[in-house]
Amino acid sequence: MNRDYLIFDIRRTLRNRRVLIFSILMPLVLFAIFGLTIPKDADQSGISAIAYVMVSMAMFGSMSAAMSSGGVIAAERDGGWNRTLRLTPLKPQAYVVTKVILSLLLAIPPLLVVFLFGMTAGHVHLSVTQWVTVALVSWLGALPFAAIGLVIGYVAKPDSVQPITGLSTMLIAAFGGLWLPVDQMPSVMKHIAQLTPAYWTGQTSRSALTQSGVDTHALLVVLGWTVVLGFIGLRRFRADTARA
Amino acid sequence: MTTTTAVSLRGVTKKYGAVQAVAGVDLTIRAGEVVALLGPNGAGKSTTIEMLLGLVTPDQGSVQVYDGTPVDAIAQGQVGVMLQSGGIIEDAKVGELMNLVAGLHKKPMPVSEALDRAGIADLTDRKIKGLSGGQKQRVRFAMAIIPQPDLIVLDEPTTGMDVESRRDFWASMHAETARGRTVLFATHYLEEADAYADRVVLMRNGKVVADGTATQIKASVSGRTIRATVPGADLAALASLPGVRNVETRGEVVLLQCANSDDTLRYLLENTAAHDIEVTSADLEDAVLAISAGSDISAEQESLA
Repeated sequence: MNRDYLIFDIRRTLRNRRVLIFSILMPLVLFAIFGLTIPKDADQSGISAIAYVMVSMAMFGSMSAAMSSGGVIAAERDGGWNRTLRLTPLKPQAYVVTKVILSLLLAIPPLLVVFLFGMTAGHVHLSVTQWVTVALVSWLGALPFAAIGLVIGYVAKPDSVQPITGLSTMLIAAFGGLWLPVDQMPSVMKHIAQLTPAYWTGQTSRSALTQSGVDTHALLVVLGWTVVLGFIGLRRFRADTARA
Repeated sequence: MTTTTAVSLRGVTKKYGAVQAVAGVDLTIRAGEVVALLGPNGAGKSTTIEMLLGLVTPDQGSVQVYDGTPVDAIAQGQVGVMLQSGGIIEDAKVGELMNLVAGLHKKPMPVSEALDRAGIADLTDRKIKGLSGGQKQRVRFAMAIIPQPDLIVLDEPTTGMDVESRRDFWASMHAETARGRTVLFATHYLEEADAYADRVVLMRNGKVVADGTATQIKASVSGRTIRATVPGADLAALASLPGVRNVETRGEVVLLQCANSDDTLRYLLENTAAHDIEVTSADLEDAVLAISAGSDISAEQESLA
């Protein structure tokens, strides 16, 4: 990790507010539409339906924020910046780690805002331990999407990176059951959902709210996705930098 | 251990498809030299520089920068590079970008000092996107010197600058060479090579075709030119004088290219009615044109180097 690089990226992202605002507003609006309209005592998969929707939407926001680092990477590749980087002592691994940390930092605001909104407007009542656990697990759940951002950043061109990121976010969220509970879909959809990392991150986060606690199987699948996608991202990165 | 050799290329070649971009280059740059790599587009300058920086791997031959590979030297922060275009983040402010670049190096000079030396201290808060071409080149220059490198490599640094910016740029550059830095710059501006380099390496078709001081290169090619008005000149007699390489006439004006202008001049004054005589040494442009037209003088490299 390079501290100056991270500071530079954060300042740049904060100035370029569109992505950040979108990643917070989208899940809030969806939460307001789908969450606040649910009857108070409704249940979904063993937890209150509104808490279920809150966690899903928070995950959706943090996932789209984490993936947005792909735009930064694509832009840097396009302008020949990577060439400049190769002419400095910065190690390639340090670059990748810095971008993953950036993704994880970008994932925090949507999580916090949606949870705060759920706590206040949605009257979601959880113990302190549950809040902390669900926040931490949801944050960890952004890891595979940070890796997807890396992959997209190395595959896409700057002018195509926005639509590619937007479309993949929507598809992964919809098919992964973040927008509509998988239980309410036809069973074939459940099989499809299990092929997406979003299903497992949602599963992990929501399990933090159940009696049985965090679903370790789901958490392992999330980490598995992170390893596989991270590996693909690193390979793309190597191919991109070693074109000699 | 201090070495006196900054860069050493040995038998380096690079082929892109059917194009032999670099066809066997040997080049040694000693510490403290200011070397111009001169040549037309497509001569292989950029590929040579890319191999020297480790951006491109040569097909054959070896590259050494100081005590190791180019990648080692860069990792040690021994090399500062100014690329021709691109390579900066357009939506950043100048100061932000410089802070970042300083943070990527091990022993950078203070950002304010780099900006001062590049003459852009007043641009710190400006977005790079809005800068002129010449200002962006100065940002790239600041990026090249901030690591406090031993070797500075510049690929056509003044492309897109107007005359005044170019003069200012070279004044900044001169301050760096005065600090004893080794400099290699590629250019196709002959006057820059002539004015700022200790040594000119001329490339054509992927090879080094001349290597020496600007003065040596000029002298090696065309000696001097005598221009005189000679009424009723006997061209055959003039052409047969020892050391006269070429005779041209424009009306009564005769142009003589000669290896030994003193002898030719003496002959003209004693034997003809020559008047309005001018003697000029060929400029670097004449030399480069002559060499590029085919008179390969690489055999003279050894004696020049």
